[in-house]
Amino acid sequence: MALPISYHWRNLFVRKTTTALTMGVVAAVVGVFAWMLGFSAALDDSLSVASDDRKLIVLKPGATAESNSAIPIEDYNRLNQLTELARTDAGSLQSPEMLVQISLPRLRDGGRTAANVAVRGVTETAFRVHTTVKIVAGRTFNPAAREVIVGRAAAAQFAGLQIGSTLNLGYSGDRGYQIVGHFSADGGPLESEIWGYLPSLLNAYNRTMYSSANLRLRDGADPKAVIGEIEGPAIQLSAQTEPAYWQEQSRNIRTYLGIANFLVAIMCIAAVFSIANTMFASVAGRTREIAMLRTIGFSGGQILTGFVIESVLLSLIGGLIGCAGTLAYLQLAGSTKDMFGSTTFTTLAFDIRLSPLIVAKALGLVTLVGIIGAAVPARRAARVQVVNALRAE
Amino acid sequence: MTISYVLMQNLRRNRLRTGLTLVAFALPMAIFVAAISFVVALVELSAASQKELRLAVHQKTTITNMLPEALRRKIEALDPDRQRLTAVCGMRWFGGRVPGEQNTITSLAADADTFPIVYSDTNLTDADVAEWMRERRAAVVGQAVAERYGWKVGDLRTLTSTVPPYLSLEFKIVKIVDNPTRQNFFYFRRDYLQESRKAAGSDDPLCNVFWIKCRSAEALRSLQKDIDATFAHTPDETKSEDENAFAANFIQAAGNIPGLMQAMALVVVVIIALVAGNTMMMSFRERTRELGVFKAIGFPRLRVFIIVLGESLMLALIGALLGVLPTVTMLTLFPLPRLNFGPITQLRISPVAVVGSLIIALAVGIAAGLWPAYQAMRLRTTDALRSVA
Repeated sequence: MALPISYHWRNLFVRKTTTALTMGVVAAVVGVFAWMLGFSAALDDSLSVASDDRKLIVLKPGATAESNSAIPIEDYNRLNQLTELARTDAGSLQSPEMLVQISLPRLRDGGRTAANVAVRGVTETAFRVHTTVKIVAGRTFNPAAREVIVGRAAAAQFAGLQIGSTLNLGYSGDRGYQIVGHFSADGGPLESEIWGYLPSLLNAYNRTMYSSANLRLRDGADPKAVIGEIEGPAIQLSAQTEPAYWQEQSRNIRTYLGIANFLVAIMCIAAVFSIANTMFASVAGRTREIAMLRTIGFSGGQILTGFVIESVLLSLIGGLIGCAGTLAYLQLAGSTKDMFGSTTFTTLAFDIRLSPLIVAKALGLVTLVGIIGAAVPARRAARVQVVNALRAE
Repeated sequence: MTISYVLMQNLRRNRLRTGLTLVAFALPMAIFVAAISFVVALVELSAASQKELRLAVHQKTTITNMLPEALRRKIEALDPDRQRLTAVCGMRWFGGRVPGEQNTITSLAADADTFPIVYSDTNLTDADVAEWMRERRAAVVGQAVAERYGWKVGDLRTLTSTVPPYLSLEFKIVKIVDNPTRQNFFYFRRDYLQESRKAAGSDDPLCNVFWIKCRSAEALRSLQKDIDATFAHTPDETKSEDENAFAANFIQAAGNIPGLMQAMALVVVVIIALVAGNTMMMSFRERTRELGVFKAIGFPRLRVFIIVLGESLMLALIGALLGVLPTVTMLTLFPLPRLNFGPITQLRISPVAVVGSLIIALAVGIAAGLWPAYQAMRLRTTDALRSVA
């Protein structure tokens, strides 16, 4: 027969202050951890959408991102010789695109700072290459009018992007484009962008060159071979698969998460020591009780398990408080965050959320912290010398 | 028997607990001192750039839309007597990379004549300025950049631009700047860029930003208003910001690391307060009888109070030192030279941060010991002697 859970539960509340303070430590650590996991998950979710390796992004050699690439039309036309592209009735899936930026106030700090949001000029073909893009509100832009559509992540984080409002675009910022719709892209990076009709935007920005070409390969095509062809002497452009492109663009965000990870790891160690401290005190204060339990037939192993269970209970409650705290923080202080890609100079907007999976992960960590913290004190409890302990004062 | 003797004996009594507490205290303290150093460095930097009284003027829509270089004359014409501004320096982004490297260097082409005035914090000597004016390919490089690539004054180096037409230009390094405000920059002459662009077939004398050196903070504010008003409703509408506001946009875009550091520091303070409080509560509970004995043999109430509070303070201080000293030593020996977050190129521990950490530790020590000490002081001797641990 094992010790009942209610025994451990009540034991936690014998030393209310100590238990509460230790839970506080665990809660603080888990709170930060959960926030970080939320951010990390938001990034991964976003990039996992942009991981279609049958989609190629073609840039001018020397450029590091769509925003600093310029492809003259005659260079672009050389892509027509590619035979491995997917085709529809409307032609091969080869989308010329232009990428410029507009500086928009961030909603989360009340417009104190502004973010560089990507404005992408596209044609009809873009919607067949970027298959994830779907209109979720309003309608798509009319090529014959000055109209744009806005990704839903951008609409949620930056000012002035409601349907019906007007954005001043163009090289001098003097062409009013009306926002007629919002689109989603399965949560991918395109949701942080604004889309308009390519010829109209080229004209507004006095441009004669495209920024990039986005290609969709036909089923069974080998991306490596096509990249080789594009970079070869006949075309002389550079190409990357979509996942490779975003891997590179998220390098700085991963560094950021790395720093946060490292700090959380150190805090976790501190939490382990704090729990050990509490559990040692608990063992020391209950030596006679433990001896009693041994006398009435509980084994050393059961006592050991008992203390570990107690520590895990303690940590789990702390962990739940921590997650609740982070949830409250995200509700109150806002859950939005945006970061530049490594070289895009345009921002990627994230919405940090605590999914059940993240809470489960955080509680998993907390269980581990509880077990490690209790390991040594619990062993000490299991080894209590029954006779001596009973005789002790 | 002095108080300090009692304190040390008490800490030694339960070595295990003292040890665990110290580690649980020291680790967050290590984070704290590093995080606060970062924040302090940023605050110092922004104070330093504030003093430079520079105003950035860029295209209203976004900084990547460019302004014609002629705007410089128009800005200068707003203040013909140079009452408010000393000089205007046009700049164009080059975004150069060392061939074969992934990182883009913050490299900018600047008006040769006014650069030494507007960027007086590069500390160019008269000889440096003469060399900068004489050598067409001259480059003024921040120390962090120079160290990363092992460059010295006099070196000839080639950078390849990441913006069209992706020029590869050769530069001669004339000065390495050690001022903390200019660590991560690479400046060269805009006339050199313009000639090279012209040779490559793109003759477009444009600038991303005009930096204006102002005479006073009031002059800066008034110029900011006047410039934006002058160019409103023209094809080149502008937005003017002081250097810190300009930088704030990029700090947000880089994920707001200062915000992260501040949040971490706050969490850490909460953790250490809880850790210390926990230990003090535990030792107070175990020693209730002993404190009763102290009282029974005639220790004044204040002294009992001081004994308990002192133990807490001592614990906090030792814990803080254990966390701060190794961190300071480590970061002084290896200052994370590739940190490379915008203006902050190295994580150097600042004395302000160390003092701040110790003060926080003391405050935490007092806060953690206050309640147990108060209770100890109010103990009724008979109850205390009767109590069981």
